[in-house]
Order: sequence, then C-alpha cells, then structure tokens
Amino acid sequence: MASQGLTYEGCNFFRQRLVLSTLSGKWVKIKNIRSKDDSPGLQDFEASFIRLMDKITNGTRIEINQTGTVLYYQPGLLFGGQVEHECNPQRSIGYYLEALLMLAPFMKKPLRAVLRGVTNDQKDPSVSPAASASENNSSHCCICNTIHVHTVDTLKVTSIPLMKSFGIDGEGLELKIMKRGMPPGGGGEVLFTCPVRRTIRPVQLTDPGKIKRIRGTAYSVRVSPQIANRIVDSARSILNKFIPDIYIYTDHMKGGNAGKSPGFGLALVAESTNGMFLSAELASNPQGQGSPMLPEDLGCNCAKLLLEEVYRGGCVDSTNQSLALLYMTLGQQDVSKLLLGPLSPYTIWFLLSSRPNLADPGLLLSPLPSRREFLRHIRDFFQIMFKIEVQKQEDESRRGGDKVLMTCMGAGYANISKTLK
Amino acid sequence: MEAKEQKRHQRKQSGPKAERKKSRKQRAPGAEPDEDERRRNPRAFAVQSAVRMAKTFHRAQDLKTKKHHIPLVDRTPLEPPPVVVVVVGPPRVGKSTIIRCLIKNFTRQKLGDICGPVTIVSGKKRRLTFIECGNDINTMIDLAKVADLVLMLIDASFGFEMETFEFLNILQVHGFPRIMGVLTHLDSFKNNKTLRKTKKRLKHRFWTEVYQGAKLFYLSGMVHGEYQAQEVKNLGRFISVMKFRPLVWQTSHPYVVADRMEDLTDPETLRVDPKCDRTVSLYGYLRGTYLKNKGQVHIPGVGDFAVADVSFLPDPCPLPEEQKKRALNQKERLLYAPMAGVGGVVYDKDAVYIDLVSSHVDQPQMRPTAELVQSLIGTHATLDAKLAASKVSLFSGAAAMTPGEQQAPLENRVWDPVTQRERRKAVFSDDEEEGDGDESYEGDEEGQSEQGDDEEGLQGGDEEEKSSGARESKVGEARRGQDEEEKAPRVKRQRLERVEAKPPVEMPAFADSEDDLEMSGDDGEQSEEDEREGAEGGTADSGHCSEEEVDDDDEDEAEDDNEEKQDGKEEEDDEEDDDYDDDEDSDMETEVTAPVNISKPVKAKVSVLSEEAEEDDGDAGELGNESTGALRWKEGLAQKASEAFLRQQQAAPNLRKLVYGSVIEEQNSPSDEDADEIGGLFRVSRPEKSRSRRVDAMDCSRFVPDSPHDWDQEEVLNSIRDCFVTGKWEESKDAATLLKEDEELYGDFEDLETGEVHHGKPAKEEDSEEEVMVKEDAEEEQKKKRLEKKRRLKERFDSEYDDGDATYFDDLKEEMQKQAELNRAEFENIDDEARVQYEGFRPGMYIRMEIPGLPCEFVNNFDPHYPIILGGLGASEGNVAVSPLQGLKKHRWHQRILKTRDPLILSLGWRRFQSIPLYHIEDHNGRHRLLKYTPQHMHCGATIWGPITPQGTGFLAVQSVSGTQAGFRIAATGVILDLDKSVTIVKKLKLIGYPYKIFKNTAFIKGMFNTMLEVAKFEGASVRTVSGIRGQIKKALRTPSGAYRATFEDRILMSDIVLLRSWCPVSVPQLYNPVTSLLQPVGQKDSWSGMRTLGQLKRDLGLRNKPNQDSLYKPVVRTKRHFNPLHIPKQLQKALPFKSKPKQDQKKGKTPRHLQRPAVIREPHERKVAALLTALSTVHNYKTKKAKAEQHAKHKEFLKQKEREEMEKLKRQKEARKKMYRIMGQKEKKRERSSLKGSSKDD
Repeated sequence: MASQGLTYEGCNFFRQRLVLSTLSGKWVKIKNIRSKDDSPGLQDFEASFIRLMDKITNGTRIEINQTGTVLYYQPGLLFGGQVEHECNPQRSIGYYLEALLMLAPFMKKPLRAVLRGVTNDQKDPSVSPAASASENNSSHCCICNTIHVHTVDTLKVTSIPLMKSFGIDGEGLELKIMKRGMPPGGGGEVLFTCPVRRTIRPVQLTDPGKIKRIRGTAYSVRVSPQIANRIVDSARSILNKFIPDIYIYTDHMKGGNAGKSPGFGLALVAESTNGMFLSAELASNPQGQGSPMLPEDLGCNCAKLLLEEVYRGGCVDSTNQSLALLYMTLGQQDVSKLLLGPLSPYTIWFLLSSRPNLADPGLLLSPLPSRREFLRHIRDFFQIMFKIEVQKQEDESRRGGDKVLMTCMGAGYANISKTLK
Repeated sequence: MEAKEQKRHQRKQSGPKAERKKSRKQRAPGAEPDEDERRRNPRAFAVQSAVRMAKTFHRAQDLKTKKHHIPLVDRTPLEPPPVVVVVVGPPRVGKSTIIRCLIKNFTRQKLGDICGPVTIVSGKKRRLTFIECGNDINTMIDLAKVADLVLMLIDASFGFEMETFEFLNILQVHGFPRIMGVLTHLDSFKNNKTLRKTKKRLKHRFWTEVYQGAKLFYLSGMVHGEYQAQEVKNLGRFISVMKFRPLVWQTSHPYVVADRMEDLTDPETLRVDPKCDRTVSLYGYLRGTYLKNKGQVHIPGVGDFAVADVSFLPDPCPLPEEQKKRALNQKERLLYAPMAGVGGVVYDKDAVYIDLVSSHVDQPQMRPTAELVQSLIGTHATLDAKLAASKVSLFSGAAAMTPGEQQAPLENRVWDPVTQRERRKAVFSDDEEEGDGDESYEGDEEGQSEQGDDEEGLQGGDEEEKSSGARESKVGEARRGQDEEEKAPRVKRQRLERVEAKPPVEMPAFADSEDDLEMSGDDGEQSEEDEREGAEGGTADSGHCSEEEVDDDDEDEAEDDNEEKQDGKEEEDDEEDDDYDDDEDSDMETEVTAPVNISKPVKAKVSVLSEEAEEDDGDAGELGNESTGALRWKEGLAQKASEAFLRQQQAAPNLRKLVYGSVIEEQNSPSDEDADEIGGLFRVSRPEKSRSRRVDAMDCSRFVPDSPHDWDQEEVLNSIRDCFVTGKWEESKDAATLLKEDEELYGDFEDLETGEVHHGKPAKEEDSEEEVMVKEDAEEEQKKKRLEKKRRLKERFDSEYDDGDATYFDDLKEEMQKQAELNRAEFENIDDEARVQYEGFRPGMYIRMEIPGLPCEFVNNFDPHYPIILGGLGASEGNVAVSPLQGLKKHRWHQRILKTRDPLILSLGWRRFQSIPLYHIEDHNGRHRLLKYTPQHMHCGATIWGPITPQGTGFLAVQSVSGTQAGFRIAATGVILDLDKSVTIVKKLKLIGYPYKIFKNTAFIKGMFNTMLEVAKFEGASVRTVSGIRGQIKKALRTPSGAYRATFEDRILMSDIVLLRSWCPVSVPQLYNPVTSLLQPVGQKDSWSGMRTLGQLKRDLGLRNKPNQDSLYKPVVRTKRHFNPLHIPKQLQKALPFKSKPKQDQKKGKTPRHLQRPAVIREPHERKVAALLTALSTVHNYKTKKAKAEQHAKHKEFLKQKEREEMEKLKRQKEARKKMYRIMGQKEKKRERSSLKGSSKDD
C-alpha cells in the first residue's frame, strides 16, 4: 500500500511543498537543491525549518542525502502542543510563522509555539546566497532598493483577522511579539497560539469595501527612540492625503526585549469597512550592511508601499494570498470566493521565461518570470483548480488596478489529527 | 381476507349528529373557532399553575430542540445517481425473484439471471440500481457501505436467520441506510391464525432491530413463479417515493458501483506473460461526492490503486427529458445491466456476447429464456482459437431483409430533437446495409426467424465499434440493439462520439482548456463532420490514421494531436498494432466467420463487407496507410506547434493558462534540454541560468512590484482615490442616494400632533434629475434601479420580519441554504469538460475509470455476481498509521471474548483487512493498560496498525470471512476516535530482587538489575516487599553489579522478596493484510483466509503447549493425623475441681467370677412372708390409685362449677355495663341536643 508522492526539483517554494505535503499526506521528494551552487544543498534556515516541521508533527520521516541536495519528506500526523523553536537568523520568524499559520488549525492539540530569532527583517542581497542568485528577480523593491521579507508585525495584523474570517477564532488565536530582534543578531521572541478546528468554513470575500482607517507600528530597538517618531511623521505626510484616520503607534523596546542588534522599521495596515486588511512593511538595513537609512525615507517608502498595496487591492493583501487560497482549498466541499489583487509570483507559477510579453502589467502578473506557484502546488497535492476571473476596472473609477476573482470548490478536507471526544 | 360479511356503516344524513358533524367540518379550515372557544370559555384556558405552565413550556421547547439536527449544506446533485437498492436475505428466500418482479413492474421486461447491478428508470426523477447481495459476509459488508435502500428478505416460514441480524449489525456500523423488510413464503402457512401470529412476531422483532414502526412488507404468495403483481406494484411505489438519509461516509467519499468491466491490457503482453498486471477500465455511476481525477481508490476485496484516468461518458440510462405528462412511456422505461446480458448483449471481461434469442420489437414480452448463442470476440485469443471458439459465422450469404423491417427500429428511435435523429440516420444507413447482410447470414446459420432482432444486435455492436474508434475502449461498448429502450443509449452514444473525437484521455488533466473551451464547439462540429464522413465512407475512425482526417483537421485539432503525440503515448502505438492485428484477423475471417472485434478496425471490416471495394482496399492496406498517415502527421508537427505557440502568444492573455500552464510549455522545456546533447551521447553541462534561478530562487511570499507607480504624481494618487472612504462611493452605497431612498420609503408620514401630512419627494423628480444627469440608456438605468430598490426593500423587510423569532438555528440554516445555492450556481453554466476540472466529477455522472496494475486474478477470476466497488479515498487516507480504535466493544452476541494479538478482520472505511489488535483499557490516571482479553461486557480500546481513516468512522470486526460458521460472526464493533503514529499502551512489569544484607531500615538488594547503569535509571523508584513494606532505591553498588542500596519504612527480612512495579510500553504488530476475496477463484470467493490465530495454528498442526508440571492436577494424598494424649501434671490434677479432673473410671467390664456375689436363696417361710407382703402392697396400691382417680374427677367437677359461676358473673357484669353505657349515651345525647337547642334558643 504505497502512498502517493510528488517529486520536485530545486529549493524554491520549499516551505509550500513541505506544508502541502504535510496537509495532504503525500510524500515529497525534492532533488537538485542548489546542486549547481557554490554552497550546495539545504541552507541552515531550511534545515531549521525542517526541524520545526519535525517538532510539530509525529511520525515524520525525513531523509537528506550527504550533500543536502536531495530531500525526502514523508509527513506524519500534525501534533501541535507546546513547541519552542530557535529560528535561524538567516530568515526572519515570519518565514517559519507563515508555515505554522497554514498548519496550526489542523493539529491534534492546540499549538502554542514560541519562536525565537529575527522578528523584523529586511534582507540584504549580498548576504544570502539564495538571494544573490536571484538578485534581479526576487522581491526587490524599486522604491527603496531593498528586499522585504514580511515580518511578524504584518502577519499579526493581517493574517490573524484573515484566519478569523475562515472560522478559526476564539480565545486561543493569538500572535504576540514578546521581544523584538533585528538582524543580524536576532534575539526576538514571538508567541503564537492557535486553536484546533476540524473543518474550515467556506468564505465569500468579494467586496473589499473602502479603507476606513490606517494603523501602524513604528518600532525601534537599540537606537534613539526619536527615530520612531520621525518615521511616523514622514509616513503620515503621505497617507494624510487620502484619509485622516491614521494612527501609527511607536514601539520602542528596551533592554532584554530589544534583541541583539539595532534597527528600526515601520509596519502599516489599512483596514476597510468590510474588515479587510492590507499591509505594507519596511525595515532598516541590518547593522553593518548597506548604507544607513534615514527614518524619513523609510517612512515615505513604506507609505508608498502601502499605497501600492491599496492600488492592487483585493480582499487579501499580497502576502496572505497563499494562506487565504490554501484555506479555501481546505474548506468543506463548498464554493469559496475571494477577490484578490494581482496574483503574487509566490502564488503563481509562471514558467515560460521566454515570454515576457505576456506579462505586461495589465495582466495582473508580475513580469518576474520563473516563479513556481502555490496554485500549481495546490493542484498537485489536492487536485483543486481555481476558477480565475479578471475583474477589469473602468477607467474613470479610481479604485486601483484590476482585480482577480478566485473561485474554488473546497477539497472537503477534515482535520484527521484531532481526537474525537 | 376475512370472508365474513359485515354491515356497512350508514352515514347519518340528518339529525343532530349530522348537524354537529357538518358544523365541525365547516369550522375546520379557519382558526376562528379556537379563538371563539377561548373567548367563550376563558377559564378553561387560564393559567392554573405557573409551575406547571413553566414545565409544559420547557417540555415543549425540549421536544422542539430535540428535533433539530446540525444543519448541513445540501450537496445532493441536481440529477442524482440511481438509488442503490440492495436485496439481501438468506439463500432461497426469493431475492432474484423479487428483483425480477420489480424490474418487470418498472420496465415490463423480463430478466434471466440477475448478474451484477441492474439499473432501471423507475420514474421521472428516479432511477434504481438493484444489486443482489449473496450470502457471503464479504459481499454483505461491501454492499452495506454503498446501499441507499436495503430490501431485507425474510423467509416467514423459517423466521429470522443469523445472516439477517449480521447484516443489520453491519448496516448499523457503517451508517444506517433505509431498510425495508419483506416477508416471503407466506403461502406456506396453512393456518390463518399462525400466519397472523408469525407476522406479528416477526414484525415486532424487526422493529426492535431497526426502529419502531419500520416498514415490513408482506408478499403473500407466488403466481407462476412470480409474486403477485399488485403487491410488487405496491412495493415499487414505496421504493420510488422513498426519501433517503445522507450518510456521513457516503456523502464524504466518492464511490462507484461498477456495472461494467473491461480489460485493456495489451494482448501482446498478455501473451508473453499471462500473469502480468492488468489495466482495467471500470464503468459506473459516480455516487457520494465529487471525484478528483488522479486520485486513489480502494476496491474492496482487491486493494488500493491509483486511478490513471477518469472520464465521463453519456448516461446509458438517462432520466426522461423534462415533460409535463404524468407517466413514463414505454420508451423511457430504460434498463441498463451490462453484466446481466439484458438486451442481448453481455459484456464479459474480454468479450461481448450477443444474445440472438431476444425479444422482437413487436413482441417484447416473448423472451422466456436467455441463451447465449455466440461469442463474438476474443481479443486475447489467437486466430485459431477464435476460429475454434466462434460458433456462428456471420456472413455466409443469405437473403436480404426487407427494407420495411429495417425501417421499423429507425422510426421507433425518435428520442431526441432533430440533430440527433439526423445523425442517427447517417450512421444508420450504413449500418442498415451491414446489418442486412449480417443478419441474414446469421439467420441462415441459426435458422431463426427473428431476424429483426439479430440485426439490431449487430447494429448495436457495429455502432459501438464506431464509438470505440476513438481509441478509448478496446472492448467496445456495444449496446443491446433491441426494443425501444435501446433508443436512449444510442442517442447517448452519439454524444459520446463527439466527446471522444478529441480524446480526453490523452490530454493532461489540466490542459490549456481555455483553448479547448473556445474550440470545443468547433471540435464538436468537426467530429460530427468526421463522423458523417466516416459513416459515408464506412470509417468513422476519429483516430489519426486516416488521411482525410488530418486534412480536415483544422489547426486546433492538429495542435491537440501534436500534444498527444509529443506526450509519447505508447498506448497509441499499441493500439495501432492492435488495429493491424485485428485487421489481418478479420480479413482472413471475412469469408468464414465474423468474430466481431471490439476494437475499431473490425468496424472498418464490417463496413468493407457491406459495401465499397475501394474502402476494402484501403483497409487491406491499412497498415501502410496508417504508417504513412502517422508520418505525415509528424511532419506537420513542428510547424503546427510553432504556429500554435505564436497564436498563443498573440492571443489575449489567459490567466488560467498562465497559472496552470499549458501542455505545450511542459513539452517544450524538455526539448530545449535535449538540444544540448552532442551526438546523442554527451550532454553539455551548461549552467542553465534561468532554470536554476527558477528552481532555486528565494522562498518568499512578499510581492513587491517591479515597476511601482510613482506616488508623487497627483494622477497616480488619484487612481486609488476611491479606495478610501473619503473617495466617491458607488451609486448604490452612496450616502446621498441611501438617504434619498430612505426618504422615499419612509418619507410619507403624518404628524400626529398637528395632523399635517408630509409626503416624501415623489420618485419622478428623482428620475427626472437623473435623466438630466444621464441621458443615454436612462430607461435601462431606471429599470435596474427599480429592481435594485425592490430587492433591497424585500431584503430589509425579510430581515425585519424574520428577526422577530430568528434563532441561531434559523440563521445557521439560512447560511447553509445560501451556500448550497451558491454551490449549485457557481459552475452551472460551464460546460462539463471544464467543469470537471474545477470541481471534479459530479455525483450522478456515468464515468469510466482506468486503473492500471490490477492483479491478473481480478480479471481471470471475475465473477459479476460479486459487486465491484470503487471507493474514493480522501486526502491522506491512503497512508497507514497506527490508529487507536477506542470504544471497541465485543459484540454481545458473539460467543467468545477476543484475545490480544489474535488477528482480526476489520471492516473500516471502504476497506476490509486483517490486522492484529492490541486491546487496552484506560486507567483512572489516563494510562492505557494492555488487556490480554476483551472484557465481556465492557468497552475497551483497541489499537491496530491500519490505514488512516477519519475520526468518527465506525468499524466492525469478524474473526474469519471464510465459509459459514455457527454462531454470530460479528465479533466486535466500535468507532475510530483518534489517529496517531505512536502508541501509548503499556503493560505491567514487575522486577524482582532479593536482599542480601540488611541493616536497620536499609537493605542491599541484588538480582533486580544487571548493571549499575540500569540501577541509575531507576534511582528514586519506589519498591516494596511482598509483605507490603515500602521503600526506595537509593544508589547503585559497585559489587555485585546490578545491586543497589534501598531504604525501607521498616526492617525487612532476608526471606522477603523485593518488587519494583513498572510499566513497559508495547509496540503494535504491523500487519495490514487486505482481504482479497475478489481475487479468489470463481466459486471460492467466500473462502479467503488470512493469517491464522495462534489457537487455530496449534489446532491445525496438532501442537499442544507443554504444561508446567506444577500446575497439573494430581490425586490428593492426605496423611492420617495423629494426636498425642493430653497429659495433665499431677499437681494440677490435684488442684482441679472434681468436675475438671480427669476421670479415671473406666467402663465396667464383666465382673470377674471371683468378684461376683453369690445368689441368695430364700427359706420357705421367708418366701411366704415376701409373697404376702407383695400381695398387700398390690392391694394398697390399687386402693390409692382408685382414690386418686376419684379425687381427680371431683376436682374437675369443681373446676367446671367454678367456671360456670365465673361466666355468670361476667355476663351479669356485662349487662350492667351495657345498661350503664346506654344511660350514659342517652345522657350525652340529651345534653348535646339540649346544648344545640339551648344555643339556638339563646340566640
């Protein structure tokens, strides 16, 4: 009785594959992980991720070859419970947390995870070999010439409400930043607790509503507390053109809560009348890497990023697209609908690098080619295909770019780990 | 039944009774009378007791809430699959008879052997699939899982049999479908009273098993081997109006009850290795829920398999089209039973049989026996074998049929609108001619007069071949060509052809179907065209071998084909080979016999025979043609591919294609790689930049735009202005419009104080304003607005109205309702091809599943009497894990308790498998303690190594599935509560040690452990002695190894034994052995036996355990107990009182002679004196005695006297007392009276 499995190549979308494999019970084999690279095989942060997966599951079989270029992963059952994990500082906690968000509702016991590492992070291309390989095609922001990895602050304000709309709510759902840790040192701590559900509700999120307020957090650790205020001022200067209801908290952590490295940043979130959240985030360059940033610039850029996000629109911001789509897939056998902005490359696999002309901006797709994609993975693992409809915006309506309406029939997934009492 | 005539009831026409009734009748509809009664007699409705009122209210509410179920989204398909009716009962109870009677009742057709599922159309909205359930427990278990309705046949003359109860228990475990009991053999009762009593007894027993009031049907007797028509009709009515409950397992898993099976294995591989794994396609209605294409299925009795491909086919037994009339006409009463040989065509695993003795069109009832005349095809057999096997030569030359006869079926076949008819004709004209010849030949051979029949059968076959031309089915899907029922399948088949023209098999599941969608219309037309052509030319082969077709194909088609080719499908090649073989075969056979080959070439062959010589040539040289055709095809490939590519690039961007990719992309990429090869041997290892980047890119979900907008420009800023609440709102949500609407709605009001009446602004004004604003399509706008307004008004009204007594439950129900509507509506308008990709195959579709890798026994030992079920498996249900099945309980009817580690056969989910359970029970502290045996009457847990199954699934266990055993076979039942990969069962382990040195409370213990390390692990553990002295392990000692120092609460003895009680984890034996009962040889399907229990093994091998000698019973030998005499010291003896002193006296023995005293002899005088004295004393004695008697009598007299006096005295006293009381009573009365009088007087 051999179970089914899938084989992939390359380390891209590593998390997706392991997460989907764990949920669907199909084994996954990833070959040629950075096989042509100078430092072949799995990186430390990926190894750390695998360790985390091992901690939250029971009976998982992981086989890695000598060089680390081949990984075989046979998932066990999701167990949950108390988990403490030391996340590798190469990637921020958000990297690990995103996977946990996807898995947490389907555990045997409610998850209570303490993750330690870098809470807010912004990657310098020169540090990570993975990033250097993809210098011009990864999430490289032209506004501020830096790369963003969304962090815990963003997840806290966007993913948690999103989960609530899927029926994962209640007392247990919480994401708390106990300590902040900036790269490269890290030293932050995040507490994530999530209740367990047997099934997930289908959703119909087709009307994003209008943005009624903007909130944010300007944080600074091991630098002058004044910096946060400077960020707030500059961000407000831009956002005030649209809406007066803006409040940006300043969060200055001291002493033990401030982690090991200095840094500052801003996370903004726009809330709509229908309870949808769009977010943007920016952090300062890590200590000793890149040129020092002015807090004013950072504030401006972050505000512009938020505007960009608003332009894209949709009921879910670009970071949470895959989470929302996954929950839709794992719902009961009912139709779910979700209005999105342009699908992010992470959400799409777009194979033909030789066809850049297809990827004009009107296409709702990033022109960045060569992204393997979440939807494809969902199809591989769950045989679920989304109906994708483009909602064109009329010219005179000043409501941002075109939107995509994603529709799917849930897979009828039920939490098999949860004990029946 | 009772013949006694009774007086009929006379209804009163006049008089008070009639009046009363009349008035009551009149009053009934309105609610006023109640009101009236309340008003008239308010006290009757008044609250008597607040407490009781509260109680009754609570009671009512309780009852109300009890009725609530958790509302579920209604996911029943619009066109549901046929209802599965399982007919079950002991042997010889009449199962087949009742199926036959029901089929006859619904379709007016007689069926011979009930073989496999039989599907019929029973009404305008219902189809039924009858399955007969044999007496094998495997079959019973499988069918219980798929049944919607169970007809439980009970032999009334015998009573209930064990199988019935077993089946009921199986049903209860796997969800309880509807059950209807049917009592048969009622005619065997001669006595009416016993009949009645038996009925009642059986009914009540049935009720206790099912539910109170469960329907039990009585079939009173047989008429000509059939049940009475009226009773069968009633039963049929019950079945066709019955509602079914959704069962959890069934609604959450897709499943197919296969009604047809074909072996697709390549004949060549078969020839080389007859025992090779088979590729099999199974057909059936999809039930349960949506089925995704590449899934896993479990075939109970065979095992788990991955589905290679699923495709949907036109419904072979469709519901009638929507129409107004009441009943079905004869044409719509369809019957579909491919395994049962209905309609003259029997599908076997590798052949199609045509039954030539079938009913004629004109006389459909005349078909008493079904006789298989001819085996038409044996794909797997060689030519010789085929020649030998075929009994009938089809084309040996005979009289042609009259055209009139042929026309008859054509006319009857009016089934669908014009198009279909047209097509049918086209196909038919060709067929007719063939049929002509065929039929006549056959007629000759068989000497049969029913030619029309034959012809039809053949036509069916031919046509079928045509459809199979699309390479899909090697074994054709010939359909019975007879009667009017046949119409439906035929029409459907046309559709099938259309579908297959673009072979769905070869398309990767999620091909760029947007293109397909666009093209689908074209394709349809095209294929139609092709077909017509084919029909004309005799080759309706929509495959790729004929030249014309390639020519005809427009680019789209070609593209598809290219893709197929590029996919490198070997099947195609295989097929071509087949074709070739077949062709040859048939060529040679033409004169002699016609084994109607099921694959496409035969059709070509037949057509050849029928008509054209040119065509014949073509066929003869088909191989050549084919190869050239294929080549030519390949020539165009590259060019066409590039064209298609270009077209795609130019085409409007299609999101779905971008997301899910297209086939071409995937195919192109490997070819690129190939280009790097040098000389076909070496590969240039060139770091492919783009690819590696793609593959090893950073894993990040952040989406940062490449070309962000310049947010400093005003116009860019303006582009999102309306995304904020400060921006402009839509017309419908704008505050101003909403206000205006409110005005309209609530604008009219009357000021009560002033009496002034305010009117809202008339709507016209607004309209006119709007007209000013928007000139064009104002009408349209207005209309829309009005509709919108109406809708909103209604919504508001609804919400307000409902809010009054809307409960949480109502809200939930409404939500579910909305979801159900959305589910139905969302994909409604998409055509099936695309829809299947989005939501999977819908339940109700007739699908074909191709499953590779089936063991050859499945095909070789195929027996249609045993159901083949394809149960879809959920996300991770294909994996094996340890799963504790808690709440297992031995069945109370099972005779014996179950032993841990004895293999048990479980039915869980779809599966039947043997596994080794460990039984355990939970202690009060949450520890799972291993049990050696299941408790007799309690629940216990069990842990097995088995497949992952969702919690809440029921299961049952049997010890063996082979044969019949005495007693109740279901050993245990339970439910899955938890899944886990690790086990927490422990068993008790006692470690024993002996003290070798004892100080006060400290002792040195040895013999418990072997090394210091072991001891170290147990430091601090508590120990105790057998006598109950508790202690603790302190520290390991160096020598002897394994010894340790322990302290106790008291000093222990050297003879004490020290115990350490511990718990030792137990591992679960990893046995998962699927019951492969379907693979058993025919006739031995119920003889599967798996792993034997230890007990069975010993019994079978005649082994016995060597018993412990000490535990054997031996005869008890008791030694005689000897007690020493009690010795009392002399001193003590002296001090004792006499009573306690040991008595020395011994028993008097014979006095020795010397001690005996001499006898005294009296003197004569002395003797006289003595005699006198004796006489005197005698006299004296007498006198005294007499005196005493007298005295006594006197005394008695005296006593009597005294008593009498006493009586007298008492009497007197009584009199006196009586008198006194009377006087006292009178006095009292007087006083009372006087007091009463006195008081009244006083007043």
